[in-house]
Amino acid sequence: MLEQQVVNGLMLGSVYALVAVAFTLAIGVLNFLNFSIPGFFMVAGMLTWFLLRAGIPWPIAALLAIASGGLLALLVERFTYRLMSRSAHFVPLVTSMAFLILFENLVLVGWGSDMQRLSLPFETVSWRLGSTVIAVPQLIGLACAVLAVASLDFLLKKTQTGRGLRTIAEDADTAAMLGVAVGRVVPVVFVVGGLFTALSGFLFAVNYQQASPFMGEEIALKGISAMVVGGMGNIWGAILGGLLIGVVEIFAIQGFGARAVDICVYGLLLAILFVRPTGLLGGVIRQQRM
Amino acid sequence: MVLEIRNLSKSFGGLKVIDDLSFGVARGERLALIGPNGAGKTTVFNLITGVYPADSGGIFLEQTDITGLPSRYRTRRGLARTFQNIRLMAHLTVIENVMIAQYARAPSVRAMLQPVGFGRANRWRAEARAALAEAGLEAYAGEAAGALPYGIQKRVELVRALAASPHVLLLDEPAAGLNPAETEALHQVLEAIARRGVTLVVVEHDMQFVGRLCPRVVVLNFGCKIAECATGEIHADARVREAYLGSEELA
Amino acid sequence: MSGYLESVLVLLAINVILAYAAFLPMVAGQLNLGVAAFVAIGAYSAGYCSNSFFVHPVPAALAGSAVAGIIGWLVAFPILRTRGIYLALATFALNQVVQGTILNLDVVGGASGYPVPAHIGFAVVAAFSLAVIVLVFLAFRTRFGISVTAVSDDERAADLMGLSVRGLQSAAFTAGAALAGLAGALYAHHFNYIEAQNYGVLFSIYIVLYVLLGGTQTVYGPLLGAAVFTLLPELLRGSAAWRYVIFACLIIAIMSLRPQGVILKRSWFSK
Repeated sequence: MLEQQVVNGLMLGSVYALVAVAFTLAIGVLNFLNFSIPGFFMVAGMLTWFLLRAGIPWPIAALLAIASGGLLALLVERFTYRLMSRSAHFVPLVTSMAFLILFENLVLVGWGSDMQRLSLPFETVSWRLGSTVIAVPQLIGLACAVLAVASLDFLLKKTQTGRGLRTIAEDADTAAMLGVAVGRVVPVVFVVGGLFTALSGFLFAVNYQQASPFMGEEIALKGISAMVVGGMGNIWGAILGGLLIGVVEIFAIQGFGARAVDICVYGLLLAILFVRPTGLLGGVIRQQRM
Repeated sequence: MVLEIRNLSKSFGGLKVIDDLSFGVARGERLALIGPNGAGKTTVFNLITGVYPADSGGIFLEQTDITGLPSRYRTRRGLARTFQNIRLMAHLTVIENVMIAQYARAPSVRAMLQPVGFGRANRWRAEARAALAEAGLEAYAGEAAGALPYGIQKRVELVRALAASPHVLLLDEPAAGLNPAETEALHQVLEAIARRGVTLVVVEHDMQFVGRLCPRVVVLNFGCKIAECATGEIHADARVREAYLGSEELA
Repeated sequence: MSGYLESVLVLLAINVILAYAAFLPMVAGQLNLGVAAFVAIGAYSAGYCSNSFFVHPVPAALAGSAVAGIIGWLVAFPILRTRGIYLALATFALNQVVQGTILNLDVVGGASGYPVPAHIGFAVVAAFSLAVIVLVFLAFRTRFGISVTAVSDDERAADLMGLSVRGLQSAAFTAGAALAGLAGALYAHHFNYIEAQNYGVLFSIYIVLYVLLGGTQTVYGPLLGAAVFTLLPELLRGSAAWRYVIFACLIIAIMSLRPQGVILKRSWFSK
């Protein structure tokens, strides 16, 4: 029983982990809390439902849903980071919040406020390990998350673009002076974050067979908690934080009921912010600039 | 002695930035604190004003131990300063910047709720305007402080520091970035302030300026006091010359 | 006055109070994403007072405001040790925790909503709103106004000028919480029904956004923001979701073109 809970927690955690990576990338490289990320999650999930319902083959639906994240991220980049000015340091955060509202309400206008059930065009297979059941799609989700982050880690450490990103993280102005093509590299951060988040939204919709216009608010927002718990700016911290939050959530439901989830997850965030703001793996403490 | 430092030490990480520093300033005196870049002069100011806590040693203002006192209480006891990199409140007007410092004279919840209103009638605003007028800055009173030229901002910062009615004024490189005319004007202003009884401690690199204003000087290098004497005598001190070796500042 | 017009004006009055509830911490440099939590605390404690203790709704509303203010003051101790983005995140976390807690409190209806029969009419709501406006205007003509702005501009320098930074930040945060609680209590007693689901972080975000739209440089900004947020939808007559789409686009446009908001500070010094 306990192992099953842990497994369920890890599976859910992989959803949070991907979103947390998107958040942590934006914070770590751009010092920007991107509140529109839950919007990408939700759009991808709803799009998955919509496309599958329309009979689109699931690989294409997956591709389109995931790509939507990248496209929306580029849109947000144009209106947030591009316009970041020295004096109004809160502007990108505020604008990203406006985008979250925009995406959620556009979806409400288009598809109503109901939670939608997904009917999958394929059978979900489960493995049995002793008394523990692992749904294969969820395992794939976890594997995707780890693989995605490993690739990102490789990108950051071994490639030119990655070096550019790390230089920007140090100091955006110096980076420009050192010849880093800031205008080309920064969108990469957004697009990668958007793709990861959209992937997570797609996986969530498929694994839990539901999507709703509020899934950004209700689920992806917890990615922020995961990010901070793991350590802001640390992508492996995001994975760790995500998995931890997932496990905490499952045990909270088990122990206190579904309504206690928010208290536990956000209570943990609050506690970490007070006690150890650098998080478990030690993130970056940056000055001002939101 | 109105301000006294005894055996002050401060380390950052493993690096000792201020090492067993002691000196005193008499009431009404004008003391210069000089030394090569990195000697720790601004750090001394930061320790005196409470920006950092000292590792060991004592700071005494009017013979009272203020070593552990939070910064705002030190200011309320008559210690004011200006900054190397000007730190005016950018979103307040010039006159509002000056009025901010008035609070330190009589801090209380009631004082915080006192109107500072508009127009000439208000006492605090009138006083601030008068101070700006005395400094020749009345025309800038309504301007946002962040948008002004460097030289004007420096002068405003000085007016602001004085608005707290300090007994001791710490000036961190007041002449930096000023042209000769502005430097001369600054000298006149500081002379006037000193004549009113305010004790001045000045960190400066401009030795001519120091020579005209301050009869006594304390020389710092690597956080240690290497000399303390009349300004005219520093040329003769071998350690001082060594510290400035190769530098044109002492010329 | 028609029922429709009256409810619009009531909403305007309440939104004005909410605007100032967010404005006060923001002027002190705090991005308070927990405003909704204090609205909820005010609403629920006031409702509980008038329901369970049969208190007249107006003192109940004041009680609700006081409860929100006290909790705000207590919470300010740990929260104000954080800065900038950490502060925003801490208030966000606080908001969700409070909302989650209320959802679990069956004594006030939990997730099913909480009816509050005692009614406060339009006149009283309007009176409270006007009182808040006057109070805020007066407060910003005092030393408090320039002092909190100074703290948000340069905390270290303000500290060195002799200001009590923590005291000012705490005062702004607490006052904001109390105002939010008042707004919540008034809403609860006028519309006679509240639901915990409405008090999530998105509600805080709406308030913060319309305050920023009006501008935080003057005391008039929040008024304009509240007015636009309340009246724009009425002019557009679309569904609720469409209104928010337009609002979001408006915010994005304003933040791109004029991030300080619509109303900028003119210097008050007139010769």
